[in-house]
Amino acid sequence: MAKSTRPARAEPFFWLLFTAGGGVSAFLFPAHIVILGIAWAAGWLPDDALSYDRIVGLVQNPLTKLYLFVLVVLPLFHAAHRIRYGIRHELRVEENKHVVASACYGAAFVGTALTASILLRI
Amino acid sequence: MRTEERQRTPVFVRKVRRFWWLDTVPFRRFVLRELTSVFVAVYSVILLLFLLALSRGREAYEGFLRWLDLPGIVVLHVVILAAVLYHTVTSIQLASQIQEVRLGGKVLPRTFLAAGLAAGWVVASAVVAYLHVWR
Repeated sequence: MAKSTRPARAEPFFWLLFTAGGGVSAFLFPAHIVILGIAWAAGWLPDDALSYDRIVGLVQNPLTKLYLFVLVVLPLFHAAHRIRYGIRHELRVEENKHVVASACYGAAFVGTALTASILLRI
Repeated sequence: MRTEERQRTPVFVRKVRRFWWLDTVPFRRFVLRELTSVFVAVYSVILLLFLLALSRGREAYEGFLRWLDLPGIVVLHVVILAAVLYHTVTSIQLASQIQEVRLGGKVLPRTFLAAGLAAGWVVASAVVAYLHVWR
């Protein structure tokens, strides 16, 4: 009991990332899903639109890297936060709260490190 | 002191059914909205794999493009798109309900706000498409 009344100091930080990631995925993901996931396979794009040289040139721009970092990382924290509470409230797993939280946010932090290291190598 | 008091006092704990969120339509819609986050995570990972392939050179990148051509992967993207669009639409509805915007002392109607956000989404998508595909 005493433990659960401890103020959740990290909560506002993760909630902020959750909201920001929700906005980024809501506003920017649909365009990327349509372009890469559907339009390319359907042949709706110009032939060289996704050519290696063109995309490498695009991604080597530091502004593109910054954009892609935000695009990949913030939605990871959005999902981590929702899945954390989904496990507790919808799947009704109320034990090991800290393990669940650490696993969810931990996965998002690992994704963040991977994204940064991959972007720096392009 | 407080915790001792709590233990002595009978506490009413409401029993919640395991699948409480199947009980009513609004609950089901709420859980559907929460569930979209799983698809958001999957798409973040797909973008990460795209960048990983790109960082590994031409051959890996072209292999990734061939993977994107597989019919099953296209179907997966259609499912992800449906989930993310539900997230987008409900987020716009939600934001227009939460945030009150005043212009010249008057409260902007909620539908205006939702329309503005939807227009912003269309513009953002057009900018992404232009830079990604045509520029």
